[in-house]
Amino acid sequence: MSAMSDRARRMREMRECMHVGPKLQAYLDGEVDDATVERVAAHLEYCRKCGLELAAYRAIKHALGQRQQPADDALARLRSFGEQLAATGPEPPADA
Amino acid sequence: MDQSAAAADERAQAAFARYVLPEIEVLYRVALSITAQPADAEDLVQDTLLRAYRAVERFDGTHARAWLLTILRNTEINRHRRRRPDLLDDPDAQLERHEGRGPFSAPAPGPEELVVEQVFDKVVDEALAALPVKHRQVVQLVDIDGLTYAEAATLLEVPEGTVMSRLHRARKRIRDRLAAAGLAPTRSGR
Ligand SMILES: [Zn+2]
Repeated sequence: MSAMSDRARRMREMRECMHVGPKLQAYLDGEVDDATVERVAAHLEYCRKCGLELAAYRAIKHALGQRQQPADDALARLRSFGEQLAATGPEPPADA
Repeated sequence: MDQSAAAADERAQAAFARYVLPEIEVLYRVALSITAQPADAEDLVQDTLLRAYRAVERFDGTHARAWLLTILRNTEINRHRRRRPDLLDDPDAQLERHEGRGPFSAPAPGPEELVVEQVFDKVVDEALAALPVKHRQVVQLVDIDGLTYAEAATLLEVPEGTVMSRLHRARKRIRDRLAAAGLAPTRSGR
């Protein structure tokens, strides 16, 4: 009996793997619904294969995120341009 | 200027401050991802801000970023209509931005971890540079510029599913390169 239920459990886990695997990246990006979040998280509790896969994608996303452009002069100029628009509109005050 | 015009200006200015100012940095990052030169990116965002100012009174207040990305896209297309009608798809518009990585401020790694991390980053950089243009662009927009799938889809005018499949395939390529370098588990499929 325990051999049967072991096999049944493994089959179930394999099916879960095929369902969850393709969703790992969207899960990492926060682009799946709540039900999927729960299903993926539950699977990750026992599936080492998917855990490693997710860890690899997380490391890649992290490395890419660090390439973000730092704030520089151009951004500062754009900010003050925007702030000026917000304060006086596209033209200087009429009575300036 | 009569009073109702002055009131309209005030409304526009308030809406602009509320919806547009917080998005300037994202707009600039996205502009850097879709233009060839940083100076072009700055001009593009400046034009986008002017257009947004003129349109902000008609804006309904939902999904400000997506609204602004649409303006940015249209502005870019207009700016280059004569020269390059499809700049957003033009390989020349793609950037190789290897410079400008900010200091990494996670817990200070030991020398060996530092080397591994540097090699890892280098392989990621190379893999990114080797991606087909449309795939690299989606990676830049989502992972570097911080857009959602929906926002990237709005900017590129493609279905969200296209953004997702390009992004996932692109990251898988990067993962495969890392695996080949012994920096990620090897895995077939997916
Ligand atoms: Zn699994």
